[in-house]
Amino acid sequence: MNTQPHILVIDDEPQILRALRTILTQKQFRVTVASRGEEGLALAAVAPPDVIILDLTLPDMDGIQMCARIREWTQIPIIVLSVRDSEKDKVAALDQGADDYLTKPFGIEELLARIRVALRHFTQIQGSKEPIIKAGDLTIDLARHIVYQAGEEVKLTATEFKLLAYLASNAGRVLTHQSILTHVWGLAEADRVEYLRVYMRQLRKKLEPDPDQPQYLLTEPGVGYRFLID
Amino acid sequence: MRWIARTTILRVCGQAVLTVVVTTAVLYLLQNHLSTPIIALLYLLPVGLSTTLWGLGAGITAAFGAFLAFNFFFIEPYHSLFVHQPQDLLALVIFFIVAGMISQLVARAQANLAHAQAREHEATHLYELSTALVGLREQTEIAQTVAQHIQQVFQAQVVQVTMQAGKQPIMVTIPTTFQLPDTEASYQAPLLTARGLLGTVQLWQNGRSFTPNEERLLQTFVSQGALALEYALLADAETRAKVLEESDRLKSALLSSVSHELRTPLVTIKAAATSLLDGEGQWESTAREELLTAIASETDHLNRLVGNLLDMSRIEAGALNPQRQWDILADIVAEVNARMRRAMETYHLEIDVPEDLPLIPVDHVQMDQVFTNLLSNCQKYAPPQTTIHIKAWQAENAVQVCVSNEGPHVAEEHLERIFDKFNRITAVSGITSTGLGLSICKGIIEAHNGRIWAENLPNGFAFHFTIPLVWEGMTPPKLPTENLEVSFL
Repeated sequence: MNTQPHILVIDDEPQILRALRTILTQKQFRVTVASRGEEGLALAAVAPPDVIILDLTLPDMDGIQMCARIREWTQIPIIVLSVRDSEKDKVAALDQGADDYLTKPFGIEELLARIRVALRHFTQIQGSKEPIIKAGDLTIDLARHIVYQAGEEVKLTATEFKLLAYLASNAGRVLTHQSILTHVWGLAEADRVEYLRVYMRQLRKKLEPDPDQPQYLLTEPGVGYRFLID
Repeated sequence: MRWIARTTILRVCGQAVLTVVVTTAVLYLLQNHLSTPIIALLYLLPVGLSTTLWGLGAGITAAFGAFLAFNFFFIEPYHSLFVHQPQDLLALVIFFIVAGMISQLVARAQANLAHAQAREHEATHLYELSTALVGLREQTEIAQTVAQHIQQVFQAQVVQVTMQAGKQPIMVTIPTTFQLPDTEASYQAPLLTARGLLGTVQLWQNGRSFTPNEERLLQTFVSQGALALEYALLADAETRAKVLEESDRLKSALLSSVSHELRTPLVTIKAAATSLLDGEGQWESTAREELLTAIASETDHLNRLVGNLLDMSRIEAGALNPQRQWDILADIVAEVNARMRRAMETYHLEIDVPEDLPLIPVDHVQMDQVFTNLLSNCQKYAPPQTTIHIKAWQAENAVQVCVSNEGPHVAEEHLERIFDKFNRITAVSGITSTGLGLSICKGIIEAHNGRIWAENLPNGFAFHFTIPLVWEGMTPPKLPTENLEVSFL
């Protein structure tokens, strides 16, 4: 039984495939590559990987549609690769079930961090959720609705807590504006990004040592927010 | 029609006869004081008069009437058309010839005058039309002008001009309110130019047909219209050629600028990578690190360049489409500041963006781009260890932002041009730039209905821009405040 995490990379650029295969193999991953969408889907079905890295622009299939097709039968984490300025596509892919995204060109440490988060989150979905989340000086007690910063309790409003709890229990993952708004405020307010902006600012003021350079509550411009643990 | 003509002829002849009768009556009363030759001379008067007033037909009628009356009343034997004396017969014949000639001459002069007047009218109308057509570049305007003039000059019921020279056919009808008759046009002429048939002129006039002169004039009008149209098309083609030439010039400027800009980081990357490949294992760890850092940072540089080019082409194509949402300006500035901290570490950055500014309706990513480009511009021109100031305030229905530095001035006449593509006014050696950053800022700000400009400060240089606070008729939303106590429930 091979215990190395298995990664499926679907991209139509041979250079990128070659580079990723070399680097990821070096980093102790088992790597399978596919250069077309159909091929990728077939490979994923034959030997389900632990993480799928998917380029959004494939010659034979729309990447967003690919996400939906994969989600029809599995919750395997998907990290999508896209170019700058395609925020709409990123958001669409995330809304179709992708777990994270990376903007090309990216540094390899960024990719490894995303893969780690995806693997961890996948095991969390299958296991139980931790009731207490720790990030640096922050401790978030999801069950008792209490937040401590360096041991001191921080008073949050109900909405602020709900927002923080949603972000923190998806730590490391990017959450789109729409998914946060729907989860915290409800479907009717899914377009009120200004709510999110204002509440994130309040949260940062209460939790971040320097609200203008957040460590925990990160903005993903044009896409959403991400709670960072490390 | 023929009936009308006949009554006219009868009326004219009657008038001519009347003048002869009046003359005869007067002469008859005065005959004791007048000699026969004088009477003959005086009989020429009604002939001349009739011809002048009513034309050749009337003149001939008067001449004939005068001849008969002269013979009847004043040549012996009186009250008869017989003539005894041969010299009287001669006088009569001469009188008739002279009268005929006079009426002919007068009539010809008359006709010439009428002809000259008609010519003068034509010339005036043509002059008016050609003056009106001078300088017209729009096909619709040309069609309108031609139709209006034809309608006025020929008293047409309705005139329709169609043109098929441009992408879309043009049809102008004068008067605009008039419904086109079902019948065929009274007159129709093609707009013929060197490029072939470019349209037609049609004219309806209640069944009246045109005289040859009128038709000739109409044809001249139509030719004038065709000429104007052709001239406009030529001018159009010339403008297009100029625009193409300009865009060609821009493109080659872009190509040379871009290939230079792209090659510079590539040189560094290639050099660093090949040295690492060549001497693997021999490099000190610090030198190795330096080379690798150079590769990484030059790659980022290349990526930014490509991004700028993409942005520019999107702005050019009008495909920027900002995804606007109500946003917090202070957040955007803080994000840019956090990201650019490393690059800007040689500057003292002062940020003065009040938190209580209203929310602004912007595309978060594009706004980020504006600040990034403005800051990198400051970084290129302002001397290190100086202060860069970002300030924002509410100015009536807009938020105004000022990014200022202690960099060099730009000549006043160039202040607007710095936002043009590829216009690097201050050519400072060692500065790498495609000259696209500021024009991208301009494109983004204008896509947000804002304004961007630059000014020289007493001790530096400043960029200003505004973002209107009213978006799709809405003003910045105010969020309900939440009671803290709720969390303990």
